[in-house]
Amino acid sequence: MKITIVDYGMGNIYSLQSALKFLGFDSICSNKSEDIINADKVILPGVGSFKIAMDNIIKLKIDKSIKIAVKEHNIPILGICLGMQLLGVSSTEDGFSNGLNLFEGEVTKFIDQSVKIPHVGFNNVNHPVNSTLFKGIKMNSDFYFVHSYKMTTNKTNGIGLTSNGENFVASFEQGNIFGTQFHPEKSQTNGLLLIKNFITF
Amino acid sequence: MRKKRLIYTLLYNKGHFMLSRNFRLQKVGDFKWLKKHYNFEKIAFSIDELIILDVTREGRDIDEFSSVVKEVVKNVFIPVACGGGIRSLNDAKLLLNSGADKIVVNTTLHSNKELINSLVKNYGSQFVVGSVDFQIENDVKKVYIENGELKIDENLEDFLDEVEKLSIGEIYLNSIQKDGTGQGYDIKHLANTFGKLTIPIILAGGAGNHLHLIEGLKINSVDAVATANLFNFLGDALPKARMEILKKELPLANFESISDVFK
Repeated sequence: MKITIVDYGMGNIYSLQSALKFLGFDSICSNKSEDIINADKVILPGVGSFKIAMDNIIKLKIDKSIKIAVKEHNIPILGICLGMQLLGVSSTEDGFSNGLNLFEGEVTKFIDQSVKIPHVGFNNVNHPVNSTLFKGIKMNSDFYFVHSYKMTTNKTNGIGLTSNGENFVASFEQGNIFGTQFHPEKSQTNGLLLIKNFITF
Repeated sequence: MRKKRLIYTLLYNKGHFMLSRNFRLQKVGDFKWLKKHYNFEKIAFSIDELIILDVTREGRDIDEFSSVVKEVVKNVFIPVACGGGIRSLNDAKLLLNSGADKIVVNTTLHSNKELINSLVKNYGSQFVVGSVDFQIENDVKKVYIENGELKIDENLEDFLDEVEKLSIGEIYLNSIQKDGTGQGYDIKHLANTFGKLTIPIILAGGAGNHLHLIEGLKINSVDAVATANLFNFLGDALPKARMEILKKELPLANFESISDVFK
């Protein structure tokens, strides 16, 4: 099994690799096209600014590799946190940036002024029934979030929702394209189960 | 609903983990000691987050500190924030690559706002936790930087206003007078401060038992409570404290023990 963690200079890759290792899987960190398009599973992590991340991705030509991997080779991909947001259509963080456009979700700032931003801490996810990612995980289990921008979508199938004053996309699964706004590698037992579900998909 | 957090803070000083009382440090044990008394692989499900601070007063070594972080967080799948002596973007990046999800800054909030701006710009607001140490002097909350050694001009309220404008993600509020005393948090002096902040607040300094943790978590605008008391939460004291908090129906996340699921 070849698991490629896409390395574009932003993200807590050490924790992700440790989680995979704990589950018994080796992984490589790479931004090379051949590692992405020949992988069995691709993980897109990320912490930080959407705009800077997209700039890095385009500079490294990773956008093309990811699209070939996902669309032509049908390789399962999991975007985590900012990585999930990057799979969407666009973000209004630092102005406006286009995303990788692999999932019909848009990223905007939280608008409810009555809740604290960033949304930091464990929160429960109302996950879809018959979910691949949440197989064996109890409904409304807690996962760790840390973000200031949130994704919304018109899609209803395969969407996990969480509320922080307003509902937002906590997870999505559309064919071979998966995303979690929360950090499964930081969400204790449930998070490890979720990573295992993705890897064994 | 977003849950509140119980945070454990580790103070590291050149090879040893420390107990701090009013910011005076006492050596407790090395990594072996920590592993024996606080096996985070086993007790991680009783805390929501781990903060590791390098409190070395002279000759901090960020490379050495990052390797300690790597070792402590091995097989610990909870959020980790690290800090102490971060003076550049590269320092932050090194800690990020060693398992930190967030970084903690203190002196820099006052002395290098440009660095804070670039940390926020590159890694986002949520990446930066501002740690603010204060002490009551003639009924005024005075702010200290440099490991609590240097008093600055602004009082706590003014400084927090300034810090919030830096768009950081959270505030770690620590009372120098209560630190390590085990007498409970300084809720009396902070009562009017909590509600003014629009970003999450981590309350620190003084927790000696689970009742203090509960007292802190009961405050509406307190988002997390932290303790750094290495002696008061030995062995299974942290799991027990969490159970007591959950009994009070305070909103904490529910975790299953990792060893029950991954045998």
